[in-house]
Amino acid sequence: MKIATTRFGEIEADESRIIEMKGEILGFEKLKRYILLAQNEKTPFGWLQSIDDGAVAFVVINPQVVKSDYEPEIKDVDVNLLEIEQAADVLLMSIVTIRQNPVSISVNLRAPIVINAKKRLAKQIVLDDPAQPVQFFVETGKPVRIPPPGKGSSIEGEDRSAAAR
Amino acid sequence: MLILTRKLGESIKIGDNVKVTFLGIKGRQVRIGIEAPPEVAVHREEIYNSIQEQNIRAAKIENDRLIEEIWNRFQNAAAGNKGKKGAVEE
Repeated sequence: MKIATTRFGEIEADESRIIEMKGEILGFEKLKRYILLAQNEKTPFGWLQSIDDGAVAFVVINPQVVKSDYEPEIKDVDVNLLEIEQAADVLLMSIVTIRQNPVSISVNLRAPIVINAKKRLAKQIVLDDPAQPVQFFVETGKPVRIPPPGKGSSIEGEDRSAAAR
Repeated sequence: MLILTRKLGESIKIGDNVKVTFLGIKGRQVRIGIEAPPEVAVHREEIYNSIQEQNIRAAKIENDRLIEEIWNRFQNAAAGNKGKKGAVEE
């Protein structure tokens, strides 16, 4: 199906790649269908583009890229809701906020988006752990390792640049 | 808004499955206990609000050229700091 987006123009979204939000992205309760787009190979970021509203897209990153020991506890109720059968099917994505003046990048570690990559079901879960910040600032002093494609943070989404060609 | 007065140790029920018990008062702080089934999410309101605020702010990012630019600046700064830091430590 074709989606008209504000940022990327018209993109082709294969229906088999559509991710259904069970529950909501807080503030965007009505938007239930998304597609994950890889940004490009130069950065570890991706976009979670709403299908229901072409103007809504979030920059996302695998939180383990910015905090390697990040292992949020996913409750049984969410494991069931997302029909997760094995840990390998879970893809974590955190919403990224970018500020320009002064420049900063923060990653929401308190409310990661848990995606069952196999069944394409997702939910933004809110962790009970108060040690996980809503704004985890990526420090300039700490080089961030970009995992090689196909592992870790790789995004099994459409390659937007390829789709646009 | 429904307003109820309760004594310490007393509870209110919300629907069949949610029970809120008032456990103690200390100065301006109130301790309450909440019993709810696992599918009912219970969080402090300010956490919800701050997550919502971040989500809304995040959705305003307009294009990925900006991301790439900023990312490069971060990576360059990181590389610079790393060099400096190493020199200081050794």
